[in-house]
Amino acid sequence: MKQHRLSKHICGLLAAAAFGTGLSLSVAAAADLIVARAVDADSLDPDKTSTTQSLQMTNLIYDTLVTMGEDGTVHPGIASEWSMSEDGKTYSFTIRDGVKCHDGSTFDAAAAKARVDRAVDPATVNPDRSLWGPITGTSVEGKVLKVSMSEPYSPFMSFLTGIQAGFVCPSSFAAAEFKPIGTGPFKFVSWTRNDSLQLQSNADYKNFNPLIENPGKPHIDQLTFKVIPEAVARMAALRSGEADLVEPSLEETADLKSDSNFKVYAAELSGQQVLAAFSWKIKPLDNPDIRKAIGMAMNRDAYANIAFEGLVHTSNCPVAPKLFSTDEALCATWGVKYDPDGAKAIMEAAGYTADKPLKIRLLAHKLSGWDQMHQIMQQDLAAINVQAEIETREVAAHFDHMSSENKRTDGEPFVWTMGMSGVDPDYLNFLWKRPGFVEMGLNEQVDAMLDEQRRLSGDARAAKIHDIEKYLMENSYTMPLLSPGWNWLMASNAKVEGFKLGFMVSLLFNDVTLKQ
Amino acid sequence: MSISTEISLRRRGLPLGVLLGLGLAIFIIAAALLSNYLAPFDPTRMAAGPRLAAPSSAHWFGTDEFGRDLFSRVLVGGRLSLGIGIFAVVSGLVIGGLMGLIAAFSGRAVEAVLLRLIDVLYSFPDTLIALALVAFLGPGIENATLAIAISLVPFYARVTYGLAAAERAKPYIEAARLAGIRTGRLVRVHVMPNIGQSLIVMGTLGFSSAILSAAGLSFLGLGVQPPSPEWGAILASGRNYINKAPWILIFPGVAICVTVLSFNLIGDSLRDLVDPRRKGRP
Amino acid sequence: MLFLISKRVLVAFATVLVVIVLSGLLIHVVPGDPVTAMMAQSVSATPEVMAEMRARLGLDLPVWQQVMLYLTHVLQGDLGTTIRGNEPVLRLLMQRVPNTFALAVSGLGLALAIGIPLGFLAAVNRGRMVDTVVMFIAVLGVSIPAFWLGLIMIQVFALKLHWLPVAGSNWRNILLPALTLGLTYCALVARMTRSALVDVLEEDYIRTARAKGLREHEVLLVHALRPALISIVTVVGLVFAYLLGGQVIVENVFSWNGIGRLAVQAMLERDYPMIQGFIVVFATSVVIVSMLIDILYSFLDPRMRQK
Repeated sequence: MKQHRLSKHICGLLAAAAFGTGLSLSVAAAADLIVARAVDADSLDPDKTSTTQSLQMTNLIYDTLVTMGEDGTVHPGIASEWSMSEDGKTYSFTIRDGVKCHDGSTFDAAAAKARVDRAVDPATVNPDRSLWGPITGTSVEGKVLKVSMSEPYSPFMSFLTGIQAGFVCPSSFAAAEFKPIGTGPFKFVSWTRNDSLQLQSNADYKNFNPLIENPGKPHIDQLTFKVIPEAVARMAALRSGEADLVEPSLEETADLKSDSNFKVYAAELSGQQVLAAFSWKIKPLDNPDIRKAIGMAMNRDAYANIAFEGLVHTSNCPVAPKLFSTDEALCATWGVKYDPDGAKAIMEAAGYTADKPLKIRLLAHKLSGWDQMHQIMQQDLAAINVQAEIETREVAAHFDHMSSENKRTDGEPFVWTMGMSGVDPDYLNFLWKRPGFVEMGLNEQVDAMLDEQRRLSGDARAAKIHDIEKYLMENSYTMPLLSPGWNWLMASNAKVEGFKLGFMVSLLFNDVTLKQ
Repeated sequence: MSISTEISLRRRGLPLGVLLGLGLAIFIIAAALLSNYLAPFDPTRMAAGPRLAAPSSAHWFGTDEFGRDLFSRVLVGGRLSLGIGIFAVVSGLVIGGLMGLIAAFSGRAVEAVLLRLIDVLYSFPDTLIALALVAFLGPGIENATLAIAISLVPFYARVTYGLAAAERAKPYIEAARLAGIRTGRLVRVHVMPNIGQSLIVMGTLGFSSAILSAAGLSFLGLGVQPPSPEWGAILASGRNYINKAPWILIFPGVAICVTVLSFNLIGDSLRDLVDPRRKGRP
Repeated sequence: MLFLISKRVLVAFATVLVVIVLSGLLIHVVPGDPVTAMMAQSVSATPEVMAEMRARLGLDLPVWQQVMLYLTHVLQGDLGTTIRGNEPVLRLLMQRVPNTFALAVSGLGLALAIGIPLGFLAAVNRGRMVDTVVMFIAVLGVSIPAFWLGLIMIQVFALKLHWLPVAGSNWRNILLPALTLGLTYCALVARMTRSALVDVLEEDYIRTARAKGLREHEVLLVHALRPALISIVTVVGLVFAYLLGGQVIVENVFSWNGIGRLAVQAMLERDYPMIQGFIVVFATSVVIVSMLIDILYSFLDPRMRQK
């Protein structure tokens, strides 16, 4: 096998040498779509990964039990009906008849049960296990799957609509090695890591996602994802026609928008929030007034318009816009306003002058737009006598570093930035409840409020979430900056029609057609 | 050995390449040293001009995405790049040189294993070693410099070992050994002065590769932190303007090329004069 | 002779063992926690899940036990599975070896195709203007940052001229990265060719050949170039070994799916089994190759044999 591939390469090389440069580009057949992304999926097993890039792929292969409308309401999916018991501890889902897995097996209530059991089995070591909630058991009654919980878990239904909750078929995890088999709009064909992923449309597909119009089989036949890490190369691939749809470079997107040969897509339902946080355990940032002053110095409009080329919006809440309970106007009344003079006055009153500035570090991870934002932020802080040294790492190293930094109670203070996304404000729990994501948990009071909101539903839950947001902002534990912030843009040539971006930047290809 | 070098230098005269290299190098070093006085703007000052402005009489190299003056950034960036190169080469030479000397002048077992390890390290691409170190040490100019220095160690260790092993075989060493001079003193007083000159020449070659590594690290986002105007960092943050504002890509790139070229020209020509492998070969 | 070979094999084996133990220790020497790094994008990963993950990776065992375990696994040919994606390390490495090999061969091929004629031209015109200009061009190639050259080539050949595709690991995509590598390494080949030829041209037998009235191109091509090629081969070996380690930056710019990208991605994601696997496999192959070369040399060179 290895030998074979090798000789193919060498033959290719000879052929390339023989024909010189008279090579033509591969012209995709009418119903084939080529997509280029910067980063490949880690895994096609939704229980082994939680990166956006992976879940964008798994979401094409697997369906969800229920789906979400643009307004946040829950719609049918694999399950045609569902109900919750009075005490909020038991959920019942009626699994639709005739749902077929890509390998031809039937997806019934027993299959759904097996899938849920696997997600919460400690042996699976699922990083997202806690998102499934406090599940104590599952059972099957005819076509109905019953899930019981030890206590009410109100984010459960929204979670089940999300791309983290793909329902894999039992045949995919029957053997030791995982096989990507689902009921989704596309079938898995082949995957060479970091190179290309090949999918094929599922002829038996029936759609229930309200964001999609096409009721059945996707219009395109072949869907190919290529990995092109360098943005310059990706843009060249789009311009030369080598790829139909790409993750564009931020810097060129504004130009593409005004070019009739291209189309730009921005995720409206990203559920993404970019925020700044503080080393509130370290002097002098233990003082909420100093944190407030730093927040007042941040010129978020400049971040949105210059660093992000006007392709994102400033956002006011610790939770992303358009999610359950998020009220941008209300949050604005709790947060600080941009006021560099006022901020400078606070800092000078605290003894920090131009000659004796407060020295901090600005910890961040590398991402386009973000790098530019931090440089503007650095200048904003310099204007209020805060001398910030930028330290950028790759994502993994950044959060690894943050989890040790956030434990510190003395030494050099720091400001840091992060982004998070989801379909439900419950993600506040994972960030701020002790110990919290990378040790960012706060205190007992916040823990109690966060537990409380999980047990409530409807308006009562919304009110509790507002309380939490108000607490976070009035005490300046966080400074909401922008939304969205990563992977939210796509650009295509003018041939592509009907491409959509769904919740959490899921890629929806069901309605895509190619104009000749 | 020093005699033969002088003779060959005099006989051939300084080659044109070396002259050109020296001229360019002196110009670049002078510009870098005087960059603070020559730069018309603060290299990190935003909105010194309009955003992404093309080269003009006000901004010779144009401006970047924040309206920073590119000419000032490239000038001051030169000081950073050269500084990284010098620090990396000196520390790499010291560590590598010590390793090479230890391998040459300690027992056979140490020599065998140390040489194998040096060989293994040498075979890893230096960019990869530097990248690995920065990935673990964390980013920043100090760590990047250290990482590049370490990535040069195997090269210098090998070169030093080669020179020292050749020196070891000379009769005077045996004579000195018989006279009871200890190895440490022998190396310090007799071996080092004899191979030092060759090592310095090899140093200039490492210098250009250090500058390229630094630029590469910054290009991958692991080197110098923003807003420092290191050349690779300017290229990295400006690369997506390749269609809109190509000058952000052209000037720092040319600066790297010219600098590396000048040191390569000097080093390459001098290398032939001192390379131990080139001696005694048919 | 047999004694010498067995000694070389022993030294090689000892070096490989040292490398395996060192890379087994790697996890514990470097700061940071692989599990936290792995969960970097999993906001919802709880401490319990992290602990399970640590246990599964054996990170809760004492250091010496972990290193011993790693050593025994590697000696049985098991390099473990990656933290990200749970894929066998060896399979991932082997998937990319053909790509890296193909790029190394074609990059080297182009370096030779450009470098040898340049070096030849310089040697024949030694000391003249042609010599200076030719060597200047060669050195210029090695002085251009590969990523910069790569971006410009994409812009020119793929976008403006539409001659070549931008990205991918098919045979059609190899030309641009190979050309970048070729331009980078042709200087080395040219310099080596030049100095080897210059040496050969001073030999007595060349003078004899000339004196015998052989035509100049015959002298150069038949009598001078052939012996010079021997020392060129030495350089070729060096460059080739170096290229096999993967060319991170070129692979990234041209989306070439080689070993270098795999290694760097593993480093940035702190995927320790992958990093260790890369180090062990790469170092072992280098040790084996250099051992074979040593043994080969001792066959070829009688002086070495006597030592």
